[in-house]
Amino acid sequence: MNPDTRILIIDDEPILRESLQAWLERDGYSIEAVSSGEEGLERVKETSFDLLFLDLKLEDIDGIQVLSRVKEDDPDTAVVMITAYGSVPSAVEAMKQGAEDYLLKPFEPEELSLLIEKILSHKARERENIYLREQQRERSRFESLLGQSEAMREIFNFIEDIAPSESTVLITGETGTGKELAAKAIHATSRRCEGPFVAVNCGSLPEQLMESELFGYEQGAFTDAKQSKKGRLELANTGTLFLDEVGEIGPRMQIDLLRVLEERSFTRLGGTRPIKTDFRVIAASNRDLARAVREGGFREDLYYRLNVISLEMPPLRKRKEDIPLLAEHFLARFRQETKKEVEHISREALDLMMLYDWPGNVRELENAVERAVVVGKSKNIQPEDLPISSDPEICGQGSLQDMEKAHIQHVLKQNNWNITRSAHVLGIDRSTLYKKLRRYNLR
Amino acid sequence: MGREIIISPIGAIPSSVTVPVRKAVARNFGLPARITPLLQNIDFAYSPARQQHHSTTILDRLAELSPSPGCRILAVTYRDLYIPILTHVYGEAQLKGTVAIISLYRLAESEPYFHVDESGLTVQRSIKEALHELGHTLGLTHCRDAGCLMHYCRRMSDVDHKSECFCRYCRVWLRDALEEERLSFSSR
Repeated sequence: MNPDTRILIIDDEPILRESLQAWLERDGYSIEAVSSGEEGLERVKETSFDLLFLDLKLEDIDGIQVLSRVKEDDPDTAVVMITAYGSVPSAVEAMKQGAEDYLLKPFEPEELSLLIEKILSHKARERENIYLREQQRERSRFESLLGQSEAMREIFNFIEDIAPSESTVLITGETGTGKELAAKAIHATSRRCEGPFVAVNCGSLPEQLMESELFGYEQGAFTDAKQSKKGRLELANTGTLFLDEVGEIGPRMQIDLLRVLEERSFTRLGGTRPIKTDFRVIAASNRDLARAVREGGFREDLYYRLNVISLEMPPLRKRKEDIPLLAEHFLARFRQETKKEVEHISREALDLMMLYDWPGNVRELENAVERAVVVGKSKNIQPEDLPISSDPEICGQGSLQDMEKAHIQHVLKQNNWNITRSAHVLGIDRSTLYKKLRRYNLR
Repeated sequence: MGREIIISPIGAIPSSVTVPVRKAVARNFGLPARITPLLQNIDFAYSPARQQHHSTTILDRLAELSPSPGCRILAVTYRDLYIPILTHVYGEAQLKGTVAIISLYRLAESEPYFHVDESGLTVQRSIKEALHELGHTLGLTHCRDAGCLMHYCRRMSDVDHKSECFCRYCRVWLRDALEEERLSFSSR
């Protein structure tokens, strides 16, 4: 099943359009089909697609023109031209213009499936590279589970209460509220504190990479498996397994995970020997999992298995009294790291911080203080040193594209360059964000 | 009328094919299955230009012939099938629908295709294709496990390689889909 792979078909012959759509739906792809070049270009502007099947001869616009406009807008969208006998020279011309390939209709079924597999495996490799870079950046910056507010005191008490139990915990809350920190605090207070705390970010891992990360593999399980490797499930033995962004895992992995949670044993990829493992699971999600269950995107049985104890992390705007403490804490850290003599946060800057809603929560506050320490010219942090504004109209200057680039950069920074979380904050899907990263050369 | 699966032979499909298919279908889906011809003539779906039958058109007609809402139909033909975008198909099904069809034309062990041999191999392939297409009617999509019935096979050797079982993932989805269907059917 590949519901994350989006394919657009642009063909003005209904019968061909419908038959290709129905065929590809059986592969589990998410398919849209439109009947004209104009409609196709509209859809490409509105959302991103991994692959386009584009008829060379359309009634309204020539297929080659549609191709060049698509490539102009988003060079990373793969385009396969559909053509009839007699139009092969035009199809070859289309390849020179950037089309990935062309198919002569009617196609052999195996030819179609091979072509899609080739294009999508190339894209998966690109995604994997981005993930690995992201993982490099995802360094531990954990100390922000601070607070004296009533809301945080309740959280600390709750963590103390639940830590000794062996039950699975589901931590929810907006991005940047400290879900991983809460998980670490539970682990550190539990009987398993001598064991490892193994975190897995389920959000940006392609499904097959996720399988080998979690389960490990035996030598020869796949082409690159030169030697056996332990997975995170094995590494978490006697400790805690933290599954971050658990709402993002695919349907196959949901089944695997349920089985591991039920049986407490698994086999490595390519292996036959069951491996017993003993860990406590803490999962976290910024998605409404109950809603995902209702909508069919998350298995109900897995949801109940994970949601034995639930803990909701409050957003920073609901515990604003903690802002001065947190800000001072970050100031002390960044002063030490940068060796800059920034002593205080001015009254005006603190007022601005108290007025702001912090949609990226503690992580956004941390980034704001870091920036202020780096760019500030005086001994005290001033309002203009902070990358925030209480006035929504003061957003920036320049073209719409400049503003989009700056905003994306800002959100990525707020979210520690975590693609899934940033995409969520921006209200776009991950593949769209990846494309924008490439377009604006943001790395 | 309860939920059931009808194996509907089109033309003279030998019982040496339909009976093992019926048994495998009943066993794998846990539903009663019977052999009842619903459609004898599929000339309406014939394309003289391609000299093949358009499978989607046949599925639409079969859906109209369904005797009851809880019924799922699997038609079996020895005619060569196509959909407009592809040169041929071994079968077709409505995804999350009620009708499916398989063609024995290319499943026969050896050419000429028109001769449906009744060897074990053809029967085995027919069973695999029938379960695969019926899996689509329950919402299952193609599976990357080459041994699973829901794997999309590029070559006949791949069909022969895959087992007569759903992989553990597809088994779970199948169980979920059947359960969901049972609940929605019993609440009517």
